Amino acid sequence: MVCGNMAGLELLSDQGYRLDGRKASELRKVQARMGVFAQADGSAYLEQGNTKALAVVYGPHEIRGSRSWIRHDRAVINCQYSMATFSTAERKRRPHGDRKSTEMSLHLKQTFEAAVMTQLYPRSQIDIYVKILQSDGGNYSVCVNAATLAVIDAGIPMRDYVCACSVGFVDETPLADLCYAEESGGVSSLALALLPRGGQIALLQMDARLHQDHLDALIEAAMTACKGVGKVLDEVVRLHLKEVSVLTGE
Amino acid sequence: MATVKVSEAEKVYILHGIRDDLRVDGRGCEDYRHVEIETDVVSNTDGSAKVTLGDTAVLVGIKADIGKPRPMVPNEGYLEFFVDCSANATPEFEGRGGEELGTELSNTLYKVFNNKHSVDLKSLCISAGEHCWVLYVDVLLLQCDGNLYDAISVAIKAALFNTKIPKVHISADEEGAKEIELSDDPYDCMRLDVENVPCIVTLCKVGHRHVVDVTLQEKACSVASLIISVTHTGTVTCTRKLGGGSLDPESIFEMTEAGKRVGKALHAPLMKLLRQEESLGKTRQKVGFLG
Amino acid sequence: MKDTPLSNCERDFLLKAIEEKKRLDGRQTYDYRKMKITFGTDYGCCFVDLGKTRVMAQVSCELVTPKENRPNEGIMFFNIELSPMASPAFEQGRQSELSVKLNRQLERCLRNSKCIDTESLCVVSGEKVWQIRVDVHMLNHDGNLMDAASIAAITALCHFRRPDVGIQGDEVTVYSPEERDPIPLSIYHMPISVSFSFFQQGTYLLVDPCEREERVMDGLLMIAMNKHREICSIQSSGGIMLLKEQVMRCSKIASVKVSEITELLSKALENDKKARKEGGRCGFAESMPQERITALKMDETSVEMTDVTERAKDIVQKTEAPPQLVRSPVVPVPGVGQVGQGLQNTWGLEEEDEEETEECDNSDEEQEEKVTKMEEEEHEKEASREGDVVEISDSEEEDVVILHPETPDKTPKNTESRSHQKGAAASKKRQKK
Repeated sequence: MVCGNMAGLELLSDQGYRLDGRKASELRKVQARMGVFAQADGSAYLEQGNTKALAVVYGPHEIRGSRSWIRHDRAVINCQYSMATFSTAERKRRPHGDRKSTEMSLHLKQTFEAAVMTQLYPRSQIDIYVKILQSDGGNYSVCVNAATLAVIDAGIPMRDYVCACSVGFVDETPLADLCYAEESGGVSSLALALLPRGGQIALLQMDARLHQDHLDALIEAAMTACKGVGKVLDEVVRLHLKEVSVLTGE
Repeated sequence: MATVKVSEAEKVYILHGIRDDLRVDGRGCEDYRHVEIETDVVSNTDGSAKVTLGDTAVLVGIKADIGKPRPMVPNEGYLEFFVDCSANATPEFEGRGGEELGTELSNTLYKVFNNKHSVDLKSLCISAGEHCWVLYVDVLLLQCDGNLYDAISVAIKAALFNTKIPKVHISADEEGAKEIELSDDPYDCMRLDVENVPCIVTLCKVGHRHVVDVTLQEKACSVASLIISVTHTGTVTCTRKLGGGSLDPESIFEMTEAGKRVGKALHAPLMKLLRQEESLGKTRQKVGFLG
Repeated sequence: MKDTPLSNCERDFLLKAIEEKKRLDGRQTYDYRKMKITFGTDYGCCFVDLGKTRVMAQVSCELVTPKENRPNEGIMFFNIELSPMASPAFEQGRQSELSVKLNRQLERCLRNSKCIDTESLCVVSGEKVWQIRVDVHMLNHDGNLMDAASIAAITALCHFRRPDVGIQGDEVTVYSPEERDPIPLSIYHMPISVSFSFFQQGTYLLVDPCEREERVMDGLLMIAMNKHREICSIQSSGGIMLLKEQVMRCSKIASVKVSEITELLSKALENDKKARKEGGRCGFAESMPQERITALKMDETSVEMTDVTERAKDIVQKTEAPPQLVRSPVVPVPGVGQVGQGLQNTWGLEEEDEEETEECDNSDEEQEEKVTKMEEEEHEKEASREGDVVEISDSEEEDVVILHPETPDKTPKNTESRSHQKGAAASKKRQKK
């Protein structure tokens, strides 16, 4: 279906409310579940508002395919990002293989190489596969959060949670956790992947024009939002651990 | 299919068990595993369903679009299938690894579902020769533990039942060009009649007996299998043989009879369940993967 | 074909040098290499040299139907080709990770920042719009391809002129450049990317890494800005962890660099416009230096010499004492070998005669060409060194000496050698005849 012109929509009203009724620094509702699939080593499902992502981790295992990728001192991380064909409003023809998906896969790989303690598994490979089931903005952030939970579910040690969030800049105010309508409205958006405890940035990506003076405020807002997401992820992990330990009778 | 390594001793064990009508997980030869179905999981689509058959998980999303009908049959709509074997199921499906399996599955689905006996294609027509509804059925394989055809067909039936196609008003312009208006009311929609939609039953030949709903381990012990699509009246609409082994004509006859029996028994509880889910309406708690 | 791997000692050397704030080519940490921008004969063709990195960008346009959801906007299409000409590691046709990364970064830098007014590219809304295609080719890879590509792309876009279009009712006529002057694209601002490379887990930072530095870096931060201090794109890559202060510092450095580069860019565009107006010859062939044999020019780089004397003294003091002086060293003139002549026989073989003749033959062939040079050297050496130093050479200018085999002092060594050479000289004379 052809969608109408979005020019008339106000992204931030005078009373400080956004299109879906949130305030400027409010995140969408995050719901997550670990251990969704029994066959994979680690899996997680995460919903952030209407964006839903499924992450699956296989590994660490022996390197498949080309032996030239073997690193003698650390594990190789292999990521694939793909979207379900029914995830977007317009049906996507190819789930993966186009440039945007390849770029996303590279970014995910880069993010997790920084966070996962790969030196503990030399000569092996860790596969992380993320699938977007429904896309409503903030695809990259949701993928990273889901993948973090999946890696924890697989029992692979990481330096810290990797939390990601996207922020936009409208009317001198940073908006946290953009939805699709806000992203396509031409707002300058910044996606940030953060390790909350040390405040280290694993990935920083920004599009569209933003004056240099606003950069500081925007990054600050992004870091606060990521820390908020980090708290939610922590709760999910502890809850899952409680459930699992009850089931195994400890 | 994702392969599982089975040793010779395990194969013999499975064969002997099936000979005595006792499978590894305690089922009989014609029993299905635990099935969970949920519809309306993805809100972006016009109809969706998620089916979990034991460890096999399948997600189907249906999107309806207006397109030009095929020239041979101008007063019918049609279905387009696409099966995505995602890397979630097994690392072997990464990149282009799952394409082969995906094309095989979607070709079979075309044969089974895309004909006027299974789905009422005439109801998908808007104006003959010019506009018709095209239903894009996208199947997403999430976990793979054998018996993909059955799970996919159940999911497609559930998703078709769940599909809501908006009603169309055709108005003619002054110049005679037709304008199509879609009604904005989410409740003003057309539902499809899925009574005649068949379900696929896969029977695998293990030893001398045939088995319904095989797991990957049992599949490694069988050499040939037969796919039968059966409607709720017990009519067989499509048959296909898979695998490299050969089947005796008598055993094909036996398997077809067994398939008819099992398939017929599958439809009634399925429809009941779907209608029950529908009747819950708004009060139903959407679980999705969070359950 | 796989790239030659970097050896560990090279890597250690580079990292140590960076720790001491020294770069291979003598630049400071925040310096760019020498940048040169030239244009081709057609409008929209531009070459950028960043040190040894060479990049070419070409802009072309075409009338197409617009996208369905944007019926009154033109289409921009970017493509970066990593041709095998640039580096043996690039393979033709395969879309490697680097290619995808560069393509996406360029797209985001130029398209998402809306530097070009796409609505002005619309001819007939919903039917015909201009599609502007920018092709960037890498000609030589010496590090920092992204910056060079972004500069080349935006310069080519500024330089490009599209054909004029006339609309009468339903008819659209495209005028050729002879009929009507082509018009430039309307460009809002010029985004330029600046790359920062990080070393040793983010402790050290360099701007504009060359190829060797790129190999040892931990990660890269790319910031694209325009001269109005607006950030158009930020992208961090590689597995490094950044801190917010580092990002802020980099953005400040980037704004300074971008204004410098934008100035250079505008100057180059102006020069080219002037040259074209005056009717002078312009183009790629003109921009190459004519009278040189080599294709690359090497510029002198200044090297820091302030503490050289102290360091030299240190080194000299710390070295061992030189070996004992030999009273009469036998010095072979270049081009002449010496085996089994008595003093310095490093081969340790007993059959001297065969080797002597072999050596003699070899040195003969060389001597054919170097005779004149040798003679000059011989004269010089004879003049400068007298007495103790003995020279062995094949020069024909030497006097012929009669052998006296029983002479006890040093002369026999001389004469032996000389007789040997005499034999050689004689043979040479024979050859000459």
